[in-house]
Amino acid sequence: MAQAVVMPKFGQATEESTIMKWHKKEGDIIKKGDVMFEIETDKAVLEVESFFDGTLLKIIVGEGETVPVSVTVAFIGEKGEAVPDVVKTAPVSAPAVRQEARQAAPVKAAGGAPAAPASVSVAAAVPSAPEVPGRFFISPRAKALAKKCVIDPLKIKGTGGNGRVVERDVVAYLESKGYSNMKISPSAKSLAAKEGIDILTVRGKGVSGRIMVQDVRNAMAERPKTLSKMRQVIAQRLTQSFTTTPHFYVSVSADMTDLFAYRQELKAKGQVYTVTDFILEAVIMMLEEIPVLNSVSDGRTIRWHSSVDLGMAVALDDGLVVPVIKNATELNMMELHDMAKSLATRAKEGKLLPDEMTGSTFTVSNMGMLDVENFNAIINPGEAGILAVASTVQKVVVIEGQMKIRSMMTMTLSTDHRIVDGATGAAFVNGIKNKLEDIELWKSLT
Amino acid sequence: MEKFDVVVIGGGPGGYPAAIRAAQLGVSVGLIEREALGGTCLNWGCIPTKALISSSSLYHHASHGADLGVKTGPISFDYSAMIRRKDEVVSRLKGGVAQLLKANGVKVFEGAASFAGRGKIEVRGKDNAVTSIEAGRVIIATGSTSVMPGFLPVSDRVVESKNFLALTKLPAKMIVLGGGVIGCELACMAAQLGVKVTIVEMLEDILMVLDKDVRQTVRNSMEKELGIEIITGAPLEKISADAKKVQGSVSSKTLEADLLLVSIGRKPVTDGLALEKAGLSVNERGFIETDKFCRTKVATIYAIGDVTAGSTQLAHAATAQGVAAAENACGRSAKAGAVVPACIFTAPEVGSAGLTEQEAKKQNRNVKVGKYMFASLGKAMAAGETTGFVKWVTDAETDQLLGAQAVGAHATELISEAIVAISAELTAEEIGRTIHCHPTFSEAWMEAAHAVHGQCIHAAPKRK
Repeated sequence: MAQAVVMPKFGQATEESTIMKWHKKEGDIIKKGDVMFEIETDKAVLEVESFFDGTLLKIIVGEGETVPVSVTVAFIGEKGEAVPDVVKTAPVSAPAVRQEARQAAPVKAAGGAPAAPASVSVAAAVPSAPEVPGRFFISPRAKALAKKCVIDPLKIKGTGGNGRVVERDVVAYLESKGYSNMKISPSAKSLAAKEGIDILTVRGKGVSGRIMVQDVRNAMAERPKTLSKMRQVIAQRLTQSFTTTPHFYVSVSADMTDLFAYRQELKAKGQVYTVTDFILEAVIMMLEEIPVLNSVSDGRTIRWHSSVDLGMAVALDDGLVVPVIKNATELNMMELHDMAKSLATRAKEGKLLPDEMTGSTFTVSNMGMLDVENFNAIINPGEAGILAVASTVQKVVVIEGQMKIRSMMTMTLSTDHRIVDGATGAAFVNGIKNKLEDIELWKSLT
Repeated sequence: MEKFDVVVIGGGPGGYPAAIRAAQLGVSVGLIEREALGGTCLNWGCIPTKALISSSSLYHHASHGADLGVKTGPISFDYSAMIRRKDEVVSRLKGGVAQLLKANGVKVFEGAASFAGRGKIEVRGKDNAVTSIEAGRVIIATGSTSVMPGFLPVSDRVVESKNFLALTKLPAKMIVLGGGVIGCELACMAAQLGVKVTIVEMLEDILMVLDKDVRQTVRNSMEKELGIEIITGAPLEKISADAKKVQGSVSSKTLEADLLLVSIGRKPVTDGLALEKAGLSVNERGFIETDKFCRTKVATIYAIGDVTAGSTQLAHAATAQGVAAAENACGRSAKAGAVVPACIFTAPEVGSAGLTEQEAKKQNRNVKVGKYMFASLGKAMAAGETTGFVKWVTDAETDQLLGAQAVGAHATELISEAIVAISAELTAEEIGRTIHCHPTFSEAWMEAAHAVHGQCIHAAPKRK
């Protein structure tokens, strides 16, 4: 009997995934463990292996399609075997797919809508053309003229019945835009027509403002492009957090001079720790002391997390991920170092497991290596705060009336004012500062 | 100290037009030339070679007049007279440049320029006297010179193009090292006058800038019609020269000749300029880096032509840049044209503009090519010049004319239509619908444009 291959669930938070690439085609012999297809979740791109031996009978969810987890994406069975009728239960996938289509339409319209909309229904689906109330009517001659001139007819106000755009409207519109005085190279026009670029939106940079192929290419390059799944997730989560959580910020500068010296001492002894290790450890200790920073609120309730699952932001070439150090309070310094290093390395290689990227209860974002004096971070949804760590810089500091040059590092806590007040925030950041400056503490921990 | 708004260093095909354009815009202009007005192009390049090629090709045609029913008696030539005529042409043109500069109020300094600061230049004349001048803006147009690698023996029998053009007697046998444009042009010229020529090129073929079908047509004619021996894909080694001959070996074969012409490339000229005193430097290959407005990294200094990085080493490209640089130096904002055509005066000639087929494909463009052979063209048959073809390279999606090449009779003139069409971004359809005079060689462009769409009138449809 044919076996259904379903969209796997990677990680607790993953609800849907997109098939990026099929490695097998219908009719291929499949062995257990063969890579069947690649998916992109909200976190990562992953390869999916087969659990069965057999022949790939039918692919139900094609490349580029997004479906919820557990939906059947293909069937594997004996060669020639009939595929169950369940095939058409695939509509579960439809909402996601349709949603993508909806997103795609305005994207196209915003960059200069198609010169000649394929049908009225396309026009109706374009929300960004305010002149078009509901349906868009255009006469065939008007449509042909707009197409010939490579302009967007949706921008034309119709004077015919039902607000229909008729030929005279297009002529008047062209005149109002000075179309007859425009200079357009034939190839530029041909390219604009092919790409659905409204020639009126193109700025000509050729001799006396002639629109050249490069100008159309520039207009094409300016069209909105869909963000990567990762960036879309970043956008959605951070917007949600920043607009629903009242952030406030508390900064302190820690004197890292002694800790740096101590770190070198350890290094000389073969014990290698990063600066981040110390910061993470200090944060973990403070989260135990002030657990409200390790909670989450929705404005009506507050939920306390029983363990410290510390997120650490890691920059990637095309975004960032926040791998999580689970049960961080239970790790000693060396274990913490190993865990942080392993997570960061695998994050950069794109090899984190989905569960390693979810469920953090507090986050540290260290931009120390990026040469910044200070910055404010946005709280990850589901957390009460995030600590933004800036670069350590040499500063003149007054100590007991004397000017000294010290290595100072500014840290800024962003926290949810609904559950954390200024005094608590101040206590938290100063606690971290005091720990970082307390060499005796580190001597006992390392 | 004399002061100028604009000072141009170098009076070649880039420099003197720059000076004239700046003068037209109403500023005071000085031009410094250390050798001869007109530069390499006019004195030792484009013009003199074409003067000689006109002589050699006339001789060649006269010897082959029987094909067209013309009978001649025994034909001979006087190479020293050809050289004299060439020198007259050069000197007339040089005089013309001097007059043009004078008429435009450009002050010419004879001597070698050297920066003494960003806006300060010292000119050392032939008598070693130094004149200091001040410049608001400077345009560097010092050009290039032939590369003569150190492993070559120093001998009268080992020459580069400049010395070759000064010879008053042709060798009986000649080896040409380097199958680029200069080497091939001079090889054809000499072969037409009966010199036994061998070209040695290290790359897989001669004239590698051209598409394969084009260079094969040229190579075929050079080998079969002119009897030039062409050895490619191998270096010339063990080169030696004595009073009687030059020798070298290619893939264990020994070559012997009276003369070795070295044409393996050109290098930028910046010696003595003391660029560092103006805050400028050259890149690792010796060129001055510029942007598309011909600006160097020093705001008041521009550079054009062969001395600049990415140069095409073509006189007309330098001229276009010179005009643009002069306008920019005078506060306007100008770029030189983007389509830089090229002509090769081999036998047969070649014209090229825009992208070649191989370049377009390298850019992963979806291209369509339309080609029309002179062998099918009425005028070519009437003229008895049926070798060659023209071809368009077009964008399959937009029908845009991306490039063109012509090989055969008049190719260097024919290419101009293609240059205009490509610069104006016309489509193949438009060229196909443009009425061309009959009977002319130019009709080939129209037919080739039809060929892009498989709609040639005067060619059988391609079998599918």
